[in-house]
Amino acid sequence: MSQTVTPRRTTRSSASALSSVPAAPKYRPKPSPRRQLLVTAAAGPKDYDSVGELLDALPCRRAQAMDLIRLLVPAPALPLMLYGGAATGKTRTLLLALTNLRPSQRLVYASLRSLPSPRALFASLLSQLGATSSSTFSRQRLPEKPSDFISALRNALTGIVSQGEVVYLVFDNLDVVRSWDKGDQLLTLLFRLHDLLQLPQVVLVYVSSATPDAYYSMTGSVEPNYVYFSDYTVDEARDILIRGHPNPKLYSSFLSVALKPLFRVTRRVDELSAVLEPLFNRYSEPLGDLKAVSDEGIKRRLFEHVQPHLAVALSETFSVPMRASMHEIKDSGSAGKGSAKRQLGGREGLSTELEFHMSMSAKYLLLSAFLSSRNPATLDAALFDSTGGSDNRKRKRKSSQASLDMKDTMAEEMLMKGPGTFPLERLLAIFQCITSVSEDKHEVECADNKEPESGMTDLMSDVLLQLSTLCNSNFLSKSRSCPLESSARYRSNIDEDLALKVSISYLSTVRSLIQRHWHTA
Amino acid sequence: MASSDDNTEFMIDMLRECGLAHKTIIFVLEEFDLFAQGKQRLLYSLLDAMQSLTSQAIVIGVSCRLDADQLLEKRVRSRFSHRKLIFLPSSVDSLQRLMEHLLMLPEDSHLPTKYVMEYNARVTSIFSDKKFKGILNSLTDSDATTSHILRFLFRVVSYMDMDSGLLSMQSFMNALSSMRRQPKMDSLQDLSILELYILVCMHRLEDKEHSSYNFTTIMKEYKSVQDAYRTSDNYSHTVCFRAFEHLLDRELISFADKKGKALEYRPVKLLISSHELAQSLKLNTTCPAVLQKLLDRERYM
Repeated sequence: MSQTVTPRRTTRSSASALSSVPAAPKYRPKPSPRRQLLVTAAAGPKDYDSVGELLDALPCRRAQAMDLIRLLVPAPALPLMLYGGAATGKTRTLLLALTNLRPSQRLVYASLRSLPSPRALFASLLSQLGATSSSTFSRQRLPEKPSDFISALRNALTGIVSQGEVVYLVFDNLDVVRSWDKGDQLLTLLFRLHDLLQLPQVVLVYVSSATPDAYYSMTGSVEPNYVYFSDYTVDEARDILIRGHPNPKLYSSFLSVALKPLFRVTRRVDELSAVLEPLFNRYSEPLGDLKAVSDEGIKRRLFEHVQPHLAVALSETFSVPMRASMHEIKDSGSAGKGSAKRQLGGREGLSTELEFHMSMSAKYLLLSAFLSSRNPATLDAALFDSTGGSDNRKRKRKSSQASLDMKDTMAEEMLMKGPGTFPLERLLAIFQCITSVSEDKHEVECADNKEPESGMTDLMSDVLLQLSTLCNSNFLSKSRSCPLESSARYRSNIDEDLALKVSISYLSTVRSLIQRHWHTA
Repeated sequence: MASSDDNTEFMIDMLRECGLAHKTIIFVLEEFDLFAQGKQRLLYSLLDAMQSLTSQAIVIGVSCRLDADQLLEKRVRSRFSHRKLIFLPSSVDSLQRLMEHLLMLPEDSHLPTKYVMEYNARVTSIFSDKKFKGILNSLTDSDATTSHILRFLFRVVSYMDMDSGLLSMQSFMNALSSMRRQPKMDSLQDLSILELYILVCMHRLEDKEHSSYNFTTIMKEYKSVQDAYRTSDNYSHTVCFRAFEHLLDRELISFADKKGKALEYRPVKLLISSHELAQSLKLNTTCPAVLQKLLDRERYM
């Protein structure tokens, strides 16, 4: 009887969620229902149907699936390592192959990305093997040291293997162990498991996104067999994305225009599907009903409709939908293309509006931090001088070659070093300068007056609170304090585009403030 | 949990008892070089305990390192008998004999006799083939250890023809090619065009003798290349940064410092050689010609 488990359909969401952590728990086996399914699939020898079905469920992974079947299914087997980039289908192929083709087997799966420490790994493996019976007892006997773990594991496995079952131990995301504390020891332990356990009915499988040369060690462990999962080509990516789509013909005509340019940027199918989803909605907008497109003229019209959005999608990694723009586009029907271009800032795709809200004092603070980071402290006197006229002296000197070269090297240094640090006092001084200057826009006092006005106290009072908020949102970061004085030093993390946006938004709010002031006055 | 002094005392007592009862104890220490790290307290106490007259014990250390005995401290080395057995990797002939022994089916196996004879005849004919000698030589050139040969044989058997159940020369050739992957070249073939641009820009910066460079300088080089050649691959800062992060994930580039500032300002370095980069550009069918030109130009400058 060869009624096999029907593999899960490759919907786009599951294909795109391959490498992310939340997908892993879906595959964590629960003993009883899976056992039942496997038992029904058990009796006969592997026949062609099940292999064919497996290959159907794994699009464009034929060679790797055949490799896996070849190397894994006859147990006892040497350890195996699957490696390849992210979102290439390693975990999915492995688990489908194991669960569909090997009837009487026990799958113990540990995703090292979701486990925080070696101790948690040991506990997870032993609990999946059913070694620990009651919870209170198990907490006492949870192995801390590798030696305890190996003996506990061996005991658990011998019990299972003596009943004639084959056990597959799968270690997923092996590359994260390298960044753990004492990760090297754990890696050598995991690779030595084959020698240490000496149980031929236990097969070890490692899945990693790092290449095998990351794991070479000085100890004489048995090297696993390697199976490489390459990234998908354009055609394979197209096949995968079309699978399971409700409207394949329309989608394939969409992909024939949209996929190639996006493929030049990234080849990861999960990122591509995230970008293609909203683009397809735009593409099919002009069509009233989602029927297939047969006419060349209609195809051209759809292409022209989607082209500006495609250009925008090529310049951003994820789009922040602005609610205003959605309304505008909905309201203005045929003029949608023009307004979309305007709203989305033209071909560059950069909006000149700030996409989130910041309070006035936060904007001032951010701009002062940007200025303090980008300019050395020696320029402060020149920039914020009340006369503002010390530039004249510099303009008279002709720029010689040596000074040009020096400017180049200084620019290079700026690029290399990044934004500089500044102490808190300097930030507050610049902040005061800026706010006093802006206050003068709607006060008629002279700019020399640096004392806080009555309106200023509202801004100054929460400036330290705003500072901590900006630090938490990573606009500022705290760096090492200066060794000479123990004051804290900060660094601004924003780039010029964001500073420009903030200043533009601040100008517009100042304008509205002025208008309000005039109305009330 | 007993202290180490208690344990040492226990061991000395045990050794004395076993010695009196005329029982020999053999201690086998695997990965001996790992025991020789640190203060070597275990080795010292063990070898010291064996100095007493009544104990009959021997310590055998097993290690991959040929100089494992040089790692011992002076006081431990003085108690060491300086007897070393070195296991050299087998010669090609003995490896071939091993392979024959492993692959041939025994006469009295439970499989049908006709099949066994046919299988053994096929294997013998493969072994006497000249091509097989070539395969064995290239295999042992890189790694002549037994585990390597075992992995190779496992692969060969996995390529067995399922219908006839016999091995063929093709299985051996397939197994050999699957053992000889080059992971970095494979990763380079998997890159998108933008990622290749970034690698080529980094290579140009290295050629221009920049001692260190970071993402912002790479972007400057990228922009200058785009200005000079006006290609269609001019992408924005965020998109290039995502491609840069992909390259970091694939470990084709890495940071040159331990921990530091923001990702865009940390110095990076290439982890692939210029030869590998040039090779991968040649093998890449979708690579734009301008990338080849950029890489070649530096050669002749």
